[in-house]
Amino acid sequence: MPTRPVRTNSRPKQRPPEQHRSEDDPRIMLDREVSADLYEPIPPYPTRTEREAEFYTIGDGEMFLNLGPQHPATHGVLRLVLKLSGEQIVDVDPVLGYLHRGVEKICENSDYYHVIDQVDPLEYASALFQEWAAVLAFEKLMDVEVPPRAEYIRVLSAELLRISSHTLFMGFLALDMGGLTPILYSFIERDEIVEMLAALTGARMLFNYFRIGGVNGDLNHEFMSRLGDWMSRAAKQTEANTGLLNENEIFVRRARGVGVMDREMALRFGVTGGNLRASGVPFDVRRAHPYSVYPQLDFNVPTRLEGDSLARYLIRMDEVRESIKIIDQCLNNMPDGPVMAKLPRLLRPHPGRAWGAVEGPRGMLGVYAISDGTDQPFRFRIHDPSFMNLEVVPHLLPGNLLADTMAIVSSLDPIMGGIDK
Amino acid sequence: MDRTLKRRLEARLGAQIQGPIRQRHDQTEIRIQPGDVPDVLRTLHDSVDLRFELLADLAGVDTGNEMQVVYHLWSETSPDWLRIIAEPLSREDPRCPSATFLWTGAEWLEREAYDMFGIVFEGNRDLRRIFMPPDYTSFPLRKDFLLPDDAARSPGEGVRNVERPFAPAVVADDPAAGIRRAPAS
Repeated sequence: MPTRPVRTNSRPKQRPPEQHRSEDDPRIMLDREVSADLYEPIPPYPTRTEREAEFYTIGDGEMFLNLGPQHPATHGVLRLVLKLSGEQIVDVDPVLGYLHRGVEKICENSDYYHVIDQVDPLEYASALFQEWAAVLAFEKLMDVEVPPRAEYIRVLSAELLRISSHTLFMGFLALDMGGLTPILYSFIERDEIVEMLAALTGARMLFNYFRIGGVNGDLNHEFMSRLGDWMSRAAKQTEANTGLLNENEIFVRRARGVGVMDREMALRFGVTGGNLRASGVPFDVRRAHPYSVYPQLDFNVPTRLEGDSLARYLIRMDEVRESIKIIDQCLNNMPDGPVMAKLPRLLRPHPGRAWGAVEGPRGMLGVYAISDGTDQPFRFRIHDPSFMNLEVVPHLLPGNLLADTMAIVSSLDPIMGGIDK
Repeated sequence: MDRTLKRRLEARLGAQIQGPIRQRHDQTEIRIQPGDVPDVLRTLHDSVDLRFELLADLAGVDTGNEMQVVYHLWSETSPDWLRIIAEPLSREDPRCPSATFLWTGAEWLEREAYDMFGIVFEGNRDLRRIFMPPDYTSFPLRKDFLLPDDAARSPGEGVRNVERPFAPAVVADDPAAGIRRAPAS
């Protein structure tokens, strides 16, 4: 019986002689004979790039430590390969892709309406913002005019979600530094907001609520009564929650002066959102490139100059206060009218390109959409802020202690669903 | 639309801009040759009247005929987003200069474009796969990478092996190849 050749995707295991080989490095002792079956060397393939060769060459007294991918404090499945000297971090190599599921490819093969629920699970803690970015890009592509009531509902629901996301951030930051109490309070807050949005949209986390040209449903009684109930004590509750950490000396002393990112560095790395504003750049897409009804709303863009973990935390707490202000204005100025523009069932925009960006809780969420005249986007590029925020980690960690890793990574607030797309 | 930005770009970049400057909504779009990328980005970043300090996005695009690298920039001097399209890159051997000399953060964005399209960014010192495993050989976002259940567009009605090696065996102009192509614009 003739044997069929086995088809495989893996490239033949050949080592180009010019590349770095750890066996050639006199500083590395490879005790193959003793422990070849005990561990697999990192990485299990020849190093390919300059940076990889530099990182995976071990110096005197250094060792590797894998943090993750199943570590409880890594906000998802993030693996950080740490190079340690004693307890001090020398270098970091984040390994991504454990959650990669090819959302961009899926979106390029689904129609314009279908894209909205495909992008929902990207930033699963604040799904409305990713929907908003996609919808905004499509509306620019098709020149759709959105009714004002729909815009106000969008701002209202999204700002609620921003508060929920920031409160959750506060809890997890404290949890990663060893404080258990704040997360209990932040989940109380988040649960109320999520139940409120469930009354509005029908789902607790992955809303699928925004539509091209409006939103899926009008405000209803249950949502409004829950919102009114919550708004009556939101500001007070926020102060109480932040008081848990702001006045906690252990927390403040651990977060202050750790992971300092100055203005130049933040801009060079393309960091956006609260992390950039904590370094003194007042870049907020809601003000820098106004979309929706934000130009008509009165709110401040808080900035700080320190650029450390504590500043990044305080910025987010300031933003919660601004968001409460925005929600208040939305409720006062909410106009009457339809919540959806009139659009055909099958969308076939003219060939063209559009970039839509919104300010999410973690930074700028962008979508670059290309249409080729069919009912599916030809190219659907998703720009996620967590991806850029995580990229700074290898440059913030070296020099710090291992125990500060999570104080820094957590203060950048990465969400792995968005990073891995 | 920011008319003054158009004038400033024409004054600063001149002949490096290929074709007309297009403006729509809050976006200004210019097209450049891939070889001019370092020069143009440096000029946009450093000129006192432009100051595009933030790289908002870097994306690879496969139009079916050629490859593009698309940059989106932000500046406080203009209310517009600036989109720079570097084209054409050949589909067989796409190469483009890296932007990491200016924005270190472009490193991961370029790694992603390499991972998804196979675009080689010359000057990026860490150009390896970022999402897919290191021994993976296909480039998933290319237009000749067909999804297995996409029977409508797949020449094999969705049953053949969809993963392709680096250089696709399909002739680019073969209509039977089933590649979705963008209209010329």
